[in-house]
Amino acid sequence: MHFVIIGNSAAGVAAVETLRRPGGGASEITVVAGEPETAYSRCLLPDVLAGRRAEASIRLRPADFYRRLGVTLFSGVRAVELQPGEKKVLLKDGRELTYDRLLLATGAAAVRPELPGVRADGVFVLRTMADARALSAVARRVTAAVVAGGGLVGLKAALALKLAGVAGVTVVVASPRLLIRQLDERAAAMVEGELKEFGVQFIYNAGVKEFITGTGGRASGWRQDGGRFSPGEHLSGHGPDGGRELPAGCLSGVVLDDSRELPAGLAVVAKGVRPETELAARAGGRVGRGIKVDEYLCTSLPDVFAAGDCIEVTDRLTGQPVNSALWTLAFEQGRFAAANMLGQRRAYPAPLTRLNSARFGAVDVISVGRLDGPEVFTLDDPLSRTYRRLVFDGDRLAGFILAGRVDGAGVYTALVKSGRPVKQHIRALLGGRTGEVAVSGLMAR
Amino acid sequence: MPKQVLIRFERCVGCRSCQLACAVAHSEAKSLYGAVLNGEKPRARVFVHQAGEHKAPLNCRHCQDAPCIDACIAGAMHRKADDTVTNIGGEQYCTACWMCVMVCPYGAVRSDAAGTMAVKCDRECKDDQGVPACVRACPTGALVYAEVDAYSAGRRQGVLLQALGGV
Repeated sequence: MHFVIIGNSAAGVAAVETLRRPGGGASEITVVAGEPETAYSRCLLPDVLAGRRAEASIRLRPADFYRRLGVTLFSGVRAVELQPGEKKVLLKDGRELTYDRLLLATGAAAVRPELPGVRADGVFVLRTMADARALSAVARRVTAAVVAGGGLVGLKAALALKLAGVAGVTVVVASPRLLIRQLDERAAAMVEGELKEFGVQFIYNAGVKEFITGTGGRASGWRQDGGRFSPGEHLSGHGPDGGRELPAGCLSGVVLDDSRELPAGLAVVAKGVRPETELAARAGGRVGRGIKVDEYLCTSLPDVFAAGDCIEVTDRLTGQPVNSALWTLAFEQGRFAAANMLGQRRAYPAPLTRLNSARFGAVDVISVGRLDGPEVFTLDDPLSRTYRRLVFDGDRLAGFILAGRVDGAGVYTALVKSGRPVKQHIRALLGGRTGEVAVSGLMAR
Repeated sequence: MPKQVLIRFERCVGCRSCQLACAVAHSEAKSLYGAVLNGEKPRARVFVHQAGEHKAPLNCRHCQDAPCIDACIAGAMHRKADDTVTNIGGEQYCTACWMCVMVCPYGAVRSDAAGTMAVKCDRECKDDQGVPACVRACPTGALVYAEVDAYSAGRRQGVLLQALGGV
């Protein structure tokens, strides 16, 4: 049996490990990865940008992972065509792979809205190691940066740029508050407060309309450093070197919807991701908000499975089809898909698709399930810097936000998942006495 | 067959001996007085909870398809050869992102005192007879360190799944 896995991040790695579990049989495994690096943690790219971690330290598995598990790895080469009839995958370098069962773990790519100047030097996304590397190199030479997007990636990028030494970092947020898809006002305010402590600035209800380059213009927002320009020092654009010209095509600032101009030598576009569905779609596979899969994570193409950010899943709470796009889900889907590739027939239960944990400075936030619902209970204790928001739908916990102290969060998550009636434990849950609720569940058997 | 720390809920009197022993075993000093004198504040990884009239210790179950391993963005959480699930001693180190905290249905992964890493039962506490500190300390035999045969493993799993809703 020859298993081919396209993709080498969370879902791909989880699939490899599952295929190699005892009982997995003596199969041949080939992994095709578009990126040249071995598997790494995307979520930790901001730490690389911030200079807190070396590239090797965000490697997901030890360097000998592939050799130890007997996996053939083709890295730095993209799969360009899938021929489900012949059970073949064509690679960019002309190679052909024949599979018995295939896993598409192609992930997602950062969205780059088609705005004027979005291709200029100095406009980045933060999705791959190559992005982080390029950003780091430029961040060292700039003193002003703009981040478009107040979501998790945008805020992590903003903080990382600040820690990397960029003097002025401004986040342009389309919504009236940050993390609008994860947090309520109170929790968002805690995160905002913390980021402001680091010196990150925010502009709300605004969007970037255009990225402007320094062609023939003033070196607005750039610093002269050893004869080379570094964006950002003269925020006004009228400093002693303000009249010098920038290299053509280099970012010098952004224009907002209301025509305000912000000087910037670097911009990060953090406007979400779109699933990489092309390979499946061109081969005739069904695609919705991602590659469509059945409960066994099999696509509409025979012997082609899919897992991770590239697929569409049904949200456990709303029943709506959504793009998967969460690290945790990618990992568990990789496991389930691999089990099904081995013929074990394991149905993948509908997942929670809001399942976020993040840390900004000293503020931890966890957000799971619904943000709003028929009944909402909150506890706000500024002394212990603890905020809890519990959303109930009848007797069931439908979602929660924890900010500040997050111990015991998993018990709430399990309750949201299970739908166990827990209204009678509202005091314990609001007070953070989660163990009590977990044990009461065990006792009630 | 790997051994597990099993709980006999009906025997727990809530004395927290397990909690104290766990914290001490994970201190630098390895003794209660030593830890206190050193000013250490070691964290326990087993917790005694009160639920109604009942008291019960709860710690990591070292789950088969451990959600904390799935969730770990750093690749720090892993399963050792002896079946122990731990975030220390692997190639990567914990980044305190609390993904594991978010998904552990038992609330058995917590932050350390400084909030710099997640701590959980790592079984780095066994005495010379290979018995974990919490089990050794339990005066009523509520905690048992034993091999789990297939039947009771299934039963135990069934109970926990039922209670916590299929996680």
